[in-house]
Amino acid sequence: MGELFRRLRYLLFHRRFDRELENEMEFHREMAARHGRQNFGNTLRLREQSREAWGWTWIDRLFQDLRYAARTLWRSPGFTLTAVGVLTLGIGVCVTGFSLLNILVFKLLPVRDPSSLVRLQRRSPEINTPDTPYQSFLFYRNHTKTLSAMFAAMGGPAMELDSELQPVSINFVTANYFTELGTEASTGRLFDSAREDAVNAPPVAVLSHDFWQKRLNSDSSVIGRVIHLNKKPVTVIGVISEFSPHLGDQFAEVYLPIKQQPYFVEGSTALTDVFSPGGVRMWGRVASSATAETAGQELLILTNELRKQYPKLIWDKEYIRIDPGGHMAIMQPEMLRAFALIAALLLLIFIVACANLGGLMMARGVTREHEISIRIAIGASRKRIFRQLFTESLLLALIGAFSGLVLGCIGLRITAVLADGPSWMSFAPDWRVLLFVVGIAVVAAIFFGLAPALQIARQRQRKTIVRQLLVGAQIAASCVLLIVSGLLVHAVLHMMRSDPGFGYEQVIGISPGLDGHGYTPQAAQNYIDNLKGRLLGLPGVTSVALSKISLLGNGYTAYMTEDIGGHSVNIYPNWVDTEFFKTMEIPLLRGRNLRPGETHAMIVSESLARRLWPGQDALGQKFGDQKDLVVGVAGNARIKALNDGDAVEAYWAMQPSDMASMTLLVKTAGATDDLPPMMKSIAETLDPKLFPYIWLLKSGFRDYTKILENTALGVSVLGVLAVLLSGVGIIGLVAYAVSQRTKEIAIRLALGAKPMHVLSVVLRQFLIPVLAGAVVGAIATAGVSQFLRKILFGISNLDPAGYAGGILVLIAIAATAALLPARRALHVDPMSALHEE
Amino acid sequence: MPMSFMPKPDMPPGALTLLILRVLQSGSLHGYAIAQRIHLLSSDVLAVEEGSLYPALQKMLLKGWVTAEWGISETNRKVRFYRLTAAGRKQLQAEISNYDRITEAIQTVLRTA
Repeated sequence: MGELFRRLRYLLFHRRFDRELENEMEFHREMAARHGRQNFGNTLRLREQSREAWGWTWIDRLFQDLRYAARTLWRSPGFTLTAVGVLTLGIGVCVTGFSLLNILVFKLLPVRDPSSLVRLQRRSPEINTPDTPYQSFLFYRNHTKTLSAMFAAMGGPAMELDSELQPVSINFVTANYFTELGTEASTGRLFDSAREDAVNAPPVAVLSHDFWQKRLNSDSSVIGRVIHLNKKPVTVIGVISEFSPHLGDQFAEVYLPIKQQPYFVEGSTALTDVFSPGGVRMWGRVASSATAETAGQELLILTNELRKQYPKLIWDKEYIRIDPGGHMAIMQPEMLRAFALIAALLLLIFIVACANLGGLMMARGVTREHEISIRIAIGASRKRIFRQLFTESLLLALIGAFSGLVLGCIGLRITAVLADGPSWMSFAPDWRVLLFVVGIAVVAAIFFGLAPALQIARQRQRKTIVRQLLVGAQIAASCVLLIVSGLLVHAVLHMMRSDPGFGYEQVIGISPGLDGHGYTPQAAQNYIDNLKGRLLGLPGVTSVALSKISLLGNGYTAYMTEDIGGHSVNIYPNWVDTEFFKTMEIPLLRGRNLRPGETHAMIVSESLARRLWPGQDALGQKFGDQKDLVVGVAGNARIKALNDGDAVEAYWAMQPSDMASMTLLVKTAGATDDLPPMMKSIAETLDPKLFPYIWLLKSGFRDYTKILENTALGVSVLGVLAVLLSGVGIIGLVAYAVSQRTKEIAIRLALGAKPMHVLSVVLRQFLIPVLAGAVVGAIATAGVSQFLRKILFGISNLDPAGYAGGILVLIAIAATAALLPARRALHVDPMSALHEE
Repeated sequence: MPMSFMPKPDMPPGALTLLILRVLQSGSLHGYAIAQRIHLLSSDVLAVEEGSLYPALQKMLLKGWVTAEWGISETNRKVRFYRLTAAGRKQLQAEISNYDRITEAIQTVLRTA
């Protein structure tokens, strides 16, 4: 302990110690001279040897190396700027990606005690759902001992505010929701258990800051005012502070106490009936005496007890999944694949940048031959030279990484402002991001600096093999990015040009939400019959169909995964009436339509028929556990999974018991845009307590394409970035090759060589790495592209157009990058070039 | 450990530290006086050079066996004097007994082999 202390004290006061030692040794010499003895030896060296006892010389060397590196970089600003630019892009892209990931899944939200917060979800090996029946939630809350508190939120369709056109999003929350999260009010008060849980508590609402600011112009007199949500009067009691975060996907414009849910949604039995549609999302706080694990065990026991009460409700092997809840997004296993895909794309850019810089470093090593050999001649060890060169790379990498960080932060900030991000969200890098930046800088330095430093220190920089490998690596990585963007661009074009297999332009969806208001199947039948009759009376309406699964722009997606011939296939089911195929313009290719209410009969899509019974007639086959008879084959229409080319469909006839959950699809002959208001007023006259959701299928379709377009755009930007980086690298290397061979070229020209011949001298060494890189890149993409199938909208992952496009762009840019500097070789003047050296 | 810590080849390794500790036992001395004292006491056999004395002293400072304090030399110059600490005394005892043990063992081997 004492030794460490003395060592540190020395480090702190090393200048004084050094002076004292110098003084002392001077005195020693004086005395020796007085006694007639001469001391020889380098005083500086002697002092240095004495200092070594303290074990800090490595710091001196490091500073020496850093100073030297800084001077060297400063002396060649062209190289330094190129290198920092390449690294800023290559590392900046990765740092930005990590910063986003950090904000989403690592950073704790600024809520009260975020680390004890957990998200609780029902799971079983087969089924997962974010929702839990409210009664189950109450059961867990009343019996748990490992959780010190539990709270919940229940979403719902957007509501009509007073008589405004634009609806507001709402969230029903338990009375302890805000107190548990530590949410602050900017004006008024938020919910509290004592008042909102009281019997006969009056209906109240809390507004989000954003909503209050934008829709109510920050009007502070709103507190105490009565507003109408879905025509129900409710008193505004407070506005949430702009600095209080919301949990993950739980943002709403207006928050209402969950006890008031039946008041707003008339007829709803969501709070009392465990089998009614809809449920709550649950959170808890792990008690200080418990851990997430013990809480999980306790909740499993409670789940099994709940099964005794509701044997039909609880699934086989059901448990409650516990995730840390204090983050923006709760990492789910399903998200991992998407994150891995993005990380892989960003990593490719990183590889391109590093390989690129490695090539430049090697080329630079040749121009520094002189310097290195002088240093070796005057006694520098190879180890020391290597350390010095690597320090230089590290310095470059750190400069690049931190400028990448700055670039990324600015980019994120601009995006946040443009996308209107919440004010509590902070983009300032925290310790995780800084650690990542330093870590990735070291990795980059190892990638681009280690091999060149080794080669140069061993004075082998003239060997071309490493340089060729580096060119090959960056071409391969750019090739992967370009092919992936080529595939996505083709998918966008395909999506826009080709027929999706169904008609959506002229269709309007109406979701009355009967089940949410406690309609019985019979009452639902009457309502739908009435509504259908009135709709068919509207001008331009040609047909009205019913579909249990809501389409394009509304509703959830359900699919069953079936194992067919060793492949898992996602089958998208629907339960429809006889008008469905006509209304959605899905052709019936073979067989007949479904008859009203018939059971044990089904229609399969052509794609499903081909998978299940290849080369056979699908009609008359039996499907699934129920042995349903296939009566018809319909055209492929991946309405619920436009992006997944492997998705297949199955249809059954709707049953009377499904009536309350049906959606209406209305097909019109003319323009669709002015019909929704008319439909709304018709629905209001039929039952004023319902607030049907009405939407145009074409806008849902557009949202779908938008996502694809953005993905294609993002990947294309990465691809172009990669190929431009490689271009810069190739320009540098070819220019270097020309300058190295000026003499040879001059002699060849003097002897009458043809231009093509001269070019081939310079470019031959790059031809093989570029071609090999392209081939390796294409093979690598083909190998991993299976993962892309689900987002390619039916384009094959081995689509030749995508591959050819990607490789062509790559070759074109590589060739241009190579020819630009190579032309200089043709302008070499033999006389002056030969005189020069 | 770099070569410079070793005293002249004719002095067994570690002996220099032992000698420095020993000559400091009777009172604090400056660097030159330490070298002088060893030289004199060894009847001019052992010569301690700058190149080995100061690294050894630095190492002893680091170990906490000696401390340095300012004093005035016989030539009226301000110079560092080294003084044995309690830890240094203990180290001296340990090194002496260790040294005795080793020399005795060597002697035994020389006598009987």
